[in-house]
Amino acid sequence: MAAGAHKTYRIPIGPVHVGLKEPVTTWLDVDGERIVKATVRPGAIHRGIEWMARERNPIQVIYLAERICGICSFTHIIAFVRAVEDAAKIEVPIRAQYIRSLVLELERVHSHILWAGVACYTFGYDSAFNLGMLLREKVMDVLEALTGNRVNYGVGTVGGVRRDLTPNAAAAVREMIGFYRREFQTFLDVVTEDPIAKARMRNVGVLSTENAVAYCALGPTARGSGLRVDLRYSSPYEAYGDLGVKPLVPQDYTGEVFGDVFDRFFVRVMEVVQSLDLLEKIVDGIPEGPIAWEPKLPKALAYLKAADGTGLGMIEGPRGDDTHVVKLTKGEENLTWWKVRAPTYSNAVSWPLMFMNQEIADAPLIINSIDPCISCMERILVSDKKNGRSEIMTRAQIMEKSREKTRGLMGS
Amino acid sequence: MTCRPEYVKECKCPEEVLNCIREALGDSLLDIELRERMDGAPRRVLYRDIWVRFEREAYLPLVDRLRTLDFLHFHVMSGNDDGDFVTLNLHCSLFREAGEGHRLGINLIVPSPKNDLSIPSLNSRIPGTEYSEREMREMLGIHFEGLPNTDLLFLPENWDEEIKPWRRDETGPSPEHVRELS
Repeated sequence: MAAGAHKTYRIPIGPVHVGLKEPVTTWLDVDGERIVKATVRPGAIHRGIEWMARERNPIQVIYLAERICGICSFTHIIAFVRAVEDAAKIEVPIRAQYIRSLVLELERVHSHILWAGVACYTFGYDSAFNLGMLLREKVMDVLEALTGNRVNYGVGTVGGVRRDLTPNAAAAVREMIGFYRREFQTFLDVVTEDPIAKARMRNVGVLSTENAVAYCALGPTARGSGLRVDLRYSSPYEAYGDLGVKPLVPQDYTGEVFGDVFDRFFVRVMEVVQSLDLLEKIVDGIPEGPIAWEPKLPKALAYLKAADGTGLGMIEGPRGDDTHVVKLTKGEENLTWWKVRAPTYSNAVSWPLMFMNQEIADAPLIINSIDPCISCMERILVSDKKNGRSEIMTRAQIMEKSREKTRGLMGS
Repeated sequence: MTCRPEYVKECKCPEEVLNCIREALGDSLLDIELRERMDGAPRRVLYRDIWVRFEREAYLPLVDRLRTLDFLHFHVMSGNDDGDFVTLNLHCSLFREAGEGHRLGINLIVPSPKNDLSIPSLNSRIPGTEYSEREMREMLGIHFEGLPNTDLLFLPENWDEEIKPWRRDETGPSPEHVRELS
């Protein structure tokens, strides 16, 4: 991949890594090591889930929605059931709204810690990655204690939730909050205070504030570019109106916005700390009462069959706002149509901007920096059409390239 | 029309936006609804959504009018084959950065007849619409005038583009296109 004479090579990254989900292809046009253009092509794992929903009733679609993503499964089902509740004019009991918010925040904690750990792994900081994974186990244990599952919890339903918060589960959440308040700061410090980690993330993959607005960026990607946008604040849902959430932006801590990978990292790790405060407020303030609008399933289905309308559900998921839209038609048992817009769908539009003038060694980090639902770097094919040459680089090789850059910064 | 990509810090009240929409649409307005979304303890209105259905000719003028209030944040497009026409729904927000509970959901519903299934692209005004316009093009067959990139987004390269997966008429998928997994 020799630099020089302004010869441009096109490098396809992805699309498939069989061990992970939602692959995507990215073609990088490079001049030497410098990326001059990026083109993103999703679709490698388009499963037609929205089409499949046309033959299912709203309760069955909950379990389909839960399988859109293994990380933010609860986010998807709450966005979906809120859309159904909007279309059918269903009022959810307050206690159920608090339990939904509780699980949503637990999901945010595990998602953000997972992402932060993987980001460290990407640039070769394996000890921080291992520390992150070790810390994440605590919230996974709490989710299992609360719902019986580590992922795909199966606790959400139209008009409420399917599992109550027991005193034992509440105690486990409190114990977890104490654990993270004691232990998480170490992880935060070893990454954000480390000069090499900072050098690998600062001024890399920049998305300016203006571009974040124009390209409709979401969640930590938008907040990392300095935008005070968070649905929990701008249009509170479930219990968030009672919790006083404020959007977390880097300028409030560092005084300035870079819009780079470091700012996106910083926002996510600080949001873990924010989530602990929210979880404490939820456990302290959860009101007594029913957890479902209609516990009898046949009755709920009959009501939904008589409903008619289009409904919208939006949730501030770990990666940004997750939007679901549904249409129910009176007399029809199944959904008429359903549209899902996961946050990566929006954030990926601004990817090409983040790649501009960056090094190939930074590509894995930039791809990871929006916390996409993809894992696409199984291999790279470097092709030189002019000379008819091609060279295969494995995923391990490009990761090694990223790590080499870190070692270079360390002077070893 | 240019619009600086920047969010306003102060919102307008929903009634003012409703009046603005009515004024921009005039006779093109078919239906308009303000939905109040209630949550929390005590139960109270925490945010609002506007749903407006109108004739296609007013699509660009309405979008441009809304953009004078704030940068129109685009979430996604949804749509359906409704028989003689295809309905396109544009889900957006105003006042996204204007304070607690101030985001206003804007949902634009535009029916287009199947014999003239075309609508102006918003790509030059809101670059974030690119994926949705490409998705609606390949799934429902809507032509977006001025959309610079019309490559397939989610469908594979060897897909027969005459088949529109979300259509319910003869252009939709037939049983031989469906592979049952169970």
